[in-house]
Amino acid sequence: MASCADIGSAMFFGGDGDYDFSNENLDAAYQIDESKIHLFTVPSDEDTIHGLFLGDFSQLENDTIIYYLHGNGPSMDGFWSTVAVLANLGEQHRYGVVMYDYRGYGRSTGNTQNAATMAADYDAVLKWMEDRGLTSDRMVVMANSLGSLPAGPAAAGGSRIPVKKLIMEVPQSSADVIIQNATGLSLPSSMITEYNFDLGQNMEDYTGELLWMHAQEDKVAPVETARGAMQRHNGSYYREEVYPNVGHGLRWDIGNDEWTRVIHEFILH
Amino acid sequence: MSYKPFMKKSIWVLLVGFSVSCAPTKIVAPLEEGKVQVGATLGRPQINTGSLPLLGVYAAKGVSASTTAYGSAQLSSALFGAIQLDGGVVKGIRPSQGFTPGFSYSYGGNLFVSSRDFATRIYPEAGANMFWQKGPHILNVSANSWVDPTWFLAEYGRGQILAPSFGAGYRLRYKWIELQAEYKIVNPTREIQVPQAFVPSTFGLGGRGLYWGAAINF
Repeated sequence: MASCADIGSAMFFGGDGDYDFSNENLDAAYQIDESKIHLFTVPSDEDTIHGLFLGDFSQLENDTIIYYLHGNGPSMDGFWSTVAVLANLGEQHRYGVVMYDYRGYGRSTGNTQNAATMAADYDAVLKWMEDRGLTSDRMVVMANSLGSLPAGPAAAGGSRIPVKKLIMEVPQSSADVIIQNATGLSLPSSMITEYNFDLGQNMEDYTGELLWMHAQEDKVAPVETARGAMQRHNGSYYREEVYPNVGHGLRWDIGNDEWTRVIHEFILH
Repeated sequence: MSYKPFMKKSIWVLLVGFSVSCAPTKIVAPLEEGKVQVGATLGRPQINTGSLPLLGVYAAKGVSASTTAYGSAQLSSALFGAIQLDGGVVKGIRPSQGFTPGFSYSYGGNLFVSSRDFATRIYPEAGANMFWQKGPHILNVSANSWVDPTWFLAEYGRGQILAPSFGAGYRLRYKWIELQAEYKIVNPTREIQVPQAFVPSTFGLGGRGLYWGAAINF
């Protein structure tokens, strides 16, 4: 049985990436100066991770950077408009934003398989930022859906730059919850995968500030279990925003105005 | 922008292989005493716009005129690292006569063991069948429920003690062969959620699927 398949890899929907990061499809209010759009690559174990940095490199040395961990879309392409909004929070080009494709997503090589590959990719990109001057007090980690899987362990102490501000947007809760919600039985995730993530435990171990944003009608990451995980947070500051009558595509459903208001308030807190 | 990257089709369908009762009701009308039936089952729980086959094998034997014992293994679960076995008995209460239905009931247990950490779960089950048997043709309406004695181990209070299913099917038991088809509504007491997938349900609850079986009698 040791060679049996692991359904963990079936969770990951990596696909092709065009990396056509242009202003053509962005609202005028969220456009990015072409001089501030930087593609980069970093090694992660034997693989190559492709990343995107929005901003001036000087911001890595002396300004706030949002480290965005994207959701389960094929590549960074699907999150281009999101990071463009983040870069323009408050005013145009206010924040530097870094995003990358996990292994097997977009042009990043290899395959995302488990907590180890997720952590390695997160660390590889973070090292790229650390080498350019980023420090803990100027870093905000924002995780969307799948991005919560690497963000949780990182916030719980697994980040070379300690996480002090964390935004969890429509996060999952645990691997056990996923199989239990799919079967209606008290089965543990080890029946199908070794990827036994547990964001509730991560939040217990996280000492920094947390903003949790979720959708009441979320069918991908059920709000009840996400709440259970996030409310285990034991850190210095906690804020939750749960929106009724909306689904997993939170930003699209609640609109940029509300989405940016809450995030910016948290960053400035 | 309307693109929502989270809504794409999922192959989490594989998870549903662990859903309760992902096979046709194995024995509806007890086998004749001494008769042995060996078969394979093919479950196709619906998810998104398709499904994946979930294969199992079983054996049953008529141990008396009214009692049949059975045991089975889910092969699809083994593929992903879980041993899934079940066994039990079916007892006839009364045979079908003309338009008067026959009745039987069943009880047994289901065993899951993870090959990764040897986590083990046991779920007893009980069910009842109403059937009409005319020559080789058997129509059945069945109800079954698994019992989760470790419901409290489910995270965030999501456990439930009973996991019922309801099915209606047809089987052709002719000489040495039996063919089975059954449509089932599974776990209609709770919402079944599979990440990034749509699970067709009844009034927003449970799952459903078409299940097939083929067996040899000897």
